[in-house]
Amino acid sequence: MSRGRAFSAVAALTIALSLVAGQASARSSAQITVYAAASLTDVFPKIDPAQKYQFGGSNTLAAQITQGAPADVFASANTTLPQQLFSKGLCSKPVVFTRNTLVVVVPKANLAGIRSVYNLAKPGVKLVVAGPGVPVGSYTLQILKNMNLSGSVLKNVVSRETDVREVLAKVALGEADAGFVYSTDAKTVAGKVTVVKVPAWAQPKVQYGICVVTKSGDKTDAQAFVKKVLSKRGQARMLQYGFLPRVKKKR
Amino acid sequence: MKRTLLSCLITAVAIVTLLFLALPVIAIFAHTTPAHLVDQLSNPVVRDAFVVSLKTSVIAQALIVLFGTPTAYLLATRRFPGHAVAVTLVELPLVLPPAVAGIALLAAFGRLGLLGSTLDALGITLPFTQTAVTIAVAYVASPLYIRQAIAAFEATDPNLTAASRTLGAGPTRTFFRVVLPLAQGGLIAGLALSFARGLGEFGATIMFAGSLQRVTQTLPLAIYAEFDQNFDATLAMSGVLVLISVALLLGLRIGLTWQRSPSKRSLYLFGPSASG
Repeated sequence: MSRGRAFSAVAALTIALSLVAGQASARSSAQITVYAAASLTDVFPKIDPAQKYQFGGSNTLAAQITQGAPADVFASANTTLPQQLFSKGLCSKPVVFTRNTLVVVVPKANLAGIRSVYNLAKPGVKLVVAGPGVPVGSYTLQILKNMNLSGSVLKNVVSRETDVREVLAKVALGEADAGFVYSTDAKTVAGKVTVVKVPAWAQPKVQYGICVVTKSGDKTDAQAFVKKVLSKRGQARMLQYGFLPRVKKKR
Repeated sequence: MKRTLLSCLITAVAIVTLLFLALPVIAIFAHTTPAHLVDQLSNPVVRDAFVVSLKTSVIAQALIVLFGTPTAYLLATRRFPGHAVAVTLVELPLVLPPAVAGIALLAAFGRLGLLGSTLDALGITLPFTQTAVTIAVAYVASPLYIRQAIAAFEATDPNLTAASRTLGAGPTRTFFRVVLPLAQGGLIAGLALSFARGLGEFGATIMFAGSLQRVTQTLPLAIYAEFDQNFDATLAMSGVLVLISVALLLGLRIGLTWQRSPSKRSLYLFGPSASG
C-alpha cells in the first residue's frame, strides 16, 4: 500500500514532468513560429494569420536564433543579419522580400518646431533613435552621415531604443520631440504623429531579408510561409501597408 | 519502508529544485574564464552602466529610507480611517507589472502627464533623465523596504517603548534610542531587498527613462542592449549583478538573525546607549 502510494506519487510526477516537457517541444503541425522585425508587426499577421509571431529588433531576434530559439522563419529589416546567420549555417540563403524608407516623426503638438531633418540639430531637441545594432538604428546613422549631421544631431539623442516600435511609442506619447522610424511605422499612429520627410538622396538602402531557420522542425511549412510573403497576394498586402516592391523599378 | 522511500523522493525532488535554481547562475560564470569577465569590466559600456546603476540606486535607496521609515512607523503604530488603503498603496508597486509602472510614471510625471505642465512651468522635464531612473527605481523598490519596516516596527515590544517613556525619555528620544535600534535588523533586511530589486529594475526604467549610455542606461538595460552585440559583456554585467545580489542576500540573512536574537537586543537596550 505504502509502496503503491509512493509509486503513484513518482508516476504522477513523471507524468507532470513529461507533460511540461511535451508542451515545450510539441508543435502543432500547421503552425510555425516566425521571428520578424518589429516594423512587420501589423502586416505579417494580415498575410498569414495562422502562424505564431515574435516581433522585435531584428538584431535581438537574430541573437536569439543564434542561441537556439525555436524559430522557423526569420524576417529581418536588413539583409546583413540573415546573411550572417546564413554564413554560420543557421538559416537558408536570405531573399529580399520588401523595401522601406525612413522618416522622422514628431508629436502632433510638435513643441520643438521640427520641420526638416536639419532642425534636429537645434539645441535641446529630445531625439529618440534605435540602438546602433538595430537595423533602423544603423539606417538612422547612415542618413545623418549622408546629410553631414552626425555630430550635431547625435548629441541630441536622449535614448537608444531596442526596436523601431519603441522609438515610435516614445514620440507618439509626446515624451520625445522626434524619432527616426520607417515610413510604414509612421502610418500606424497617423493621428498622433506628423511625418517629416527624409530627402530621397539621403535615404539608405533598406532591404528586408527572409530565410528559413536551419533548425526548423517544419521546413515545408516554413518555406510555404516564405512563398506566401513573396506571392502576388503577399506582396500586394505589403504595398497596402506602405512597403515598397522588393525589386526597385528601373527607369 | 514508506518513510525511506518518501524521504528518498523528497531528497531527489529537492536536488532537482536546487540544480534548476543553481544551473543558470553557474552557467554565467562557466561560459567564460574569470579573467575574461574581469577584462570586460573595463569595457566602457559595462563601466558606465555600473556607475549609472550605482548612483541611481544609492540615491533612490536614500530617499526610500528617508521617506519610507516615518511612513512605515506611522502605519505600524497608528490605526486610522483609510489605514488599509494606505497599506495597499504601499504594496501596490510590488505586484504591479514593471511595464505598467513605467506607463503609470509616464502618465504622472511625463511631459503630457498629470504633473507634466506643473513640472514644465518649473522648468523640469523628467523623462530621459537620470532623475527619471531614480524615480522608477524608488517607485518599484520602495514597497520591499516599507513592508519590512512596518513588520519590524510592529514587532517591537510596546512594553519597552512604554518603559522608556516612564523613565523620562521623550517620544523623539524613545524613537531613536529604543524603537529604531529594536527594528534595526528588519530595516536593514528591507533595505537589502529593496536595493536588490532596485538594481534589477528594467521595465519601468526603459519606458520612463529610456536607455542612453552614461545617462540612463543601467546594468539591466545595458545587458539587454548588448545581448546581440557583445555576449561577453552581458555575461560580465550579469556576473556583477549576481555577486551583488548574493552579497545583499547574505546581508539580509545576517540582518534577520540579528533581529531575531532578543538577548543581544536587551543587552544593547540596557547597555550604555540607554543611559546616554
